[in-house]
Amino acid sequence: MQQNIARDKASTVSESRNDKLIGYLQQHLPKLVLAPSFAVILMFVYGFILWTVYLSFSASKMLPNYTWVGLEQWSRLWNTLTWQISLQNLFIFSVLYIGLCIVIGLSLAILLDQKIRLEGGLRTLYLYPMALSFIVTGTAWKWFLNPGLGLERTMHEWGFVDFKFDWLINSDMAIYTVVIAGVWQASGFIMAMFLAGLRGIDNEILKAAQIDGAPAWKIYTRIIIPQLGPVFLSAFVVLLHLAIKSFDLVIALTGGGPGNATSLPATFMYSYSFTRNQIGVGASSAVFMLMIIASIMVPYIYSEIKGGKK
Amino acid sequence: MSFLNIENVNKHYFDVEVLKSINIEINKGDFLVLVGPSGCGKSTLLNMIAGLDEISGGDISIDGQSMAGVHPSKRDIAMVFQSYALYPNMSVAKNISFGLEMRKVPKVERDKAVQKVAKMLQMEQLLDRKPSQLSGGQRQRVAMGRALVREPRVFLFDEPLSNLDAKLRVDMRTEIKQLHQRLGATIVYVTHDQIEAMTLATKIAVMNAGIVQQFGSPEEIYDNPVNTFVAGFMGSPSMNLIQAKVCKVEDKLCFEVATADQDRPLLLPIERDQQALVSYLNRNVTLGLRPETITDPGSANRSEGQIHEADLMVKVTEPTGADMFVVTQLGGTEVVARMRSRCGALAGQSCRFAFDVSRNLAFDGDTGDRIQ
Amino acid sequence: MSASSQDNALRSGIAWRVLIYSVLIVTAVIYLAPLFVMLVTSLKSLEEIRMGNMMALPLQITFEPWLKAWGSACLGLDCNGISGYFWNSLKITVPAVAIGTLLGAFNGYVLTKWRFRGHQWVFGMMLFACFIPFQIVLLPMSQVLGWLGLANTTSGLVLVHVVYGLGFTTLFFRNFYEAFPDELIRASVMDGAGFFTIFGRILLPNSGPIIVVTVIWQFTNIWNDFLFGASFASGDTAPITVALNNLVNSSTGVKEYNVHMAAAITAALPTLLVYVVAGRYFVRGLMAGSVKG
Ligand SMILES: Nc1ncnc2c1ncn2[C@@H]1O[C@H](COP(=O)(O)OP(=O)(O)O)[C@@H](O)[C@H]1O
Ligand SMILES: [Mg+2]
Repeated sequence: MQQNIARDKASTVSESRNDKLIGYLQQHLPKLVLAPSFAVILMFVYGFILWTVYLSFSASKMLPNYTWVGLEQWSRLWNTLTWQISLQNLFIFSVLYIGLCIVIGLSLAILLDQKIRLEGGLRTLYLYPMALSFIVTGTAWKWFLNPGLGLERTMHEWGFVDFKFDWLINSDMAIYTVVIAGVWQASGFIMAMFLAGLRGIDNEILKAAQIDGAPAWKIYTRIIIPQLGPVFLSAFVVLLHLAIKSFDLVIALTGGGPGNATSLPATFMYSYSFTRNQIGVGASSAVFMLMIIASIMVPYIYSEIKGGKK
Repeated sequence: MSFLNIENVNKHYFDVEVLKSINIEINKGDFLVLVGPSGCGKSTLLNMIAGLDEISGGDISIDGQSMAGVHPSKRDIAMVFQSYALYPNMSVAKNISFGLEMRKVPKVERDKAVQKVAKMLQMEQLLDRKPSQLSGGQRQRVAMGRALVREPRVFLFDEPLSNLDAKLRVDMRTEIKQLHQRLGATIVYVTHDQIEAMTLATKIAVMNAGIVQQFGSPEEIYDNPVNTFVAGFMGSPSMNLIQAKVCKVEDKLCFEVATADQDRPLLLPIERDQQALVSYLNRNVTLGLRPETITDPGSANRSEGQIHEADLMVKVTEPTGADMFVVTQLGGTEVVARMRSRCGALAGQSCRFAFDVSRNLAFDGDTGDRIQ
Repeated sequence: MSASSQDNALRSGIAWRVLIYSVLIVTAVIYLAPLFVMLVTSLKSLEEIRMGNMMALPLQITFEPWLKAWGSACLGLDCNGISGYFWNSLKITVPAVAIGTLLGAFNGYVLTKWRFRGHQWVFGMMLFACFIPFQIVLLPMSQVLGWLGLANTTSGLVLVHVVYGLGFTTLFFRNFYEAFPDELIRASVMDGAGFFTIFGRILLPNSGPIIVVTVIWQFTNIWNDFLFGASFASGDTAPITVALNNLVNSSTGVKEYNVHMAAAITAALPTLLVYVVAGRYFVRGLMAGSVKG
């Protein structure tokens, strides 16, 4: 071994020029390894964003056409009734979807936190829809809510003859079926987030509160839930993000209909870009979606990164 | 010629300067301890010797050869980390031999080397285990084994004992010292524990705020600290640093120290550094008294020291078994004296104290620098 | 007296627990209902579906719908079932997961252990890419895929999924390696290991959990993707989700609900299986994907 090290020393001297190259490579190797990924992100994300922004100011119809037309496509977008409905639907959908998911998720988490014997199994059951494709979820609920064969008929058979549930084909109510299916899919995940938050709370605080004689529900409303602030924020951001991106679920459940009653920005963008040959309008709707998401995600990511550094 | 030479080394992270013109030279076989409070830059300096951190200015050379631009693995140095940094996925034997494997040492030789080191550290039976199956002390051993197997020119240790419990720490300390004596290796050792520094080192560099405050042998550092930082940092319990006034009583220079009794200050004759202290006449200085220089009259060392006795009020007594620390009030602060455990001192009562004035140190009241 | 009040307390405690359990179990039944209905429907004949209750167990179990969904159901004019699309999805998912995970691991490694000036910015930009609505890239992407000759190919979809999965895979590995002790890297540098050796011998063997999380995350997302599949693939190259949607919404002929349900379960089976086998890692991925830092 001694010899070997001696040999090592001898070779260091003769290799010193080689070392320089190796040193140079070693210094830059990490960046070289990262570079392709970063380049791809720059081009396929940021480049494409700019590209789409440009398209939204162009005369593109069926094919991209790079003639600058200013705000024409944008004004066309805002004058389209379907777009107005889409935004209105997005608002209704988001409020209900986020609200219900949080209420249901938090309630389930609190109930599961009562030293429940079957906790593991129940958690698994609540969460499995999250593993499904929205298309599968949509297909299932479409069947489940089918007025002729699904829930309505089943209730009739069970003796509730007056039960009526035709939301899926009712223009005024169809958007709520999307909410139901969406909540079914995501509330288990929100439950898991809250459960993790509950488990992260310092046990000694709770013991202290118990010794102070606080009843159980007060411990929740006064001590535990206020400490879950960050979880509420995360849940809100995640759900809003999911809501704005919602596309598959609507396509599979209602196809945007009846008529355009369940159209959302995501489905609007897709249909205007790919089936209605209005690429310019599609692009401007996509840019608008990005703007909504960015206005939420940028501050959120920023605060998360800053908070993480602390 | 010195073996490891650290010359004018600087380090800054962006615009924060963490090390300022460090100069340290040691010889082959020296055991250098870098000691100082947490955050003073010890690890940074050690990492720069290893080549793991870049040097912002100055140079480090080993055996006359500048280390600038030499890759850490080519410096013929081995390092033991504070967290041990054992590869969790590898067995103990693999952990020890990984460095040799990277240097393309043939398997047969590697195995032999591992066996030898395992025997030296008495851990042959651990070779097949994973780090997670080892106790703290055993991990420490493996980390040392990993360094030893390379037989490097210099060993670097970064607080290797700070994650061990007190008893094990003392044992391992002894073991490291024996290893050093047996191998005659050159070692740079970082710690914030001054006792470790005193017991292990042949040379100590006391650091604070990125500056080497004093560099020297343990005795020099302990007996002749250059400023109040070094004086206060080294030694346990730490040196009493109290306010005193230099005055002249009957033609003899004295320190005048306030006591609990306003009307009767304590007068301690000045026996060393007199020339320097003349110019401080009637000025305030900081007086440094090591606890072991204040004793009960019975255990005072009259053959070597010069003893001055006085009666003082005892505030608290803290028996440790072997000794008793007796606290009194001097110069406005609490002063600890080290007496025999059966000296009879009682809290709230007066007791006779013996000061070995030949070992008193004086520091400038403003700069904290030693007056000598 | 105190005994009886204790008794009362005990009784009300039990009542509470009964209530809690009932709520939890009823909820579980509701969550299970759609899957249950899908399953029983897929095992019934069409007549039985028209006659009976959707919740009722099949009077006579038939696997006909499953066979038909797999091998002979008609999507448009093409009556070969969904099997081909199932394989398409596999052909897309497996390489995309593998490449995306490997790249993510390297990126995470560089961004934590070989930091350079501005590394936070690079990471921030990659992170933001996780959250864009993909509508913003659809139009340019379809053009670029056309130029590359990858339009309507499974390779094109592999590319798309690798690119838009990179943000998340990098995020996962970065956060994992951030907590990986730097001293281990320093030790291996001193031992003489280089960039790739450290990665392969030290980091990767200790990355088991995060690899599982990332693979599951990527697999679930890519398998379940519909938007990219619908936008960039058509006909023979479509993934299973697109095929399922086409099957269910094809307007010709009788609606064969049992076949639809069998196809839907088939499409869901791989991700459900992953969830059942490795649910813990699935949840960890979801959490990691929602809480950055
Ligand atoms: N990568 C870095 N970037 C900025 N400052 C650093 C970095 N590493 C260490 N420092 C600073 O350098 C100083 C010295 O650190 P260190 O050498 O680890 O101290 P010690 O080992 O003596 O406790 C500390 O104040 C620390 O904050
Ligand atoms: Mg340190």
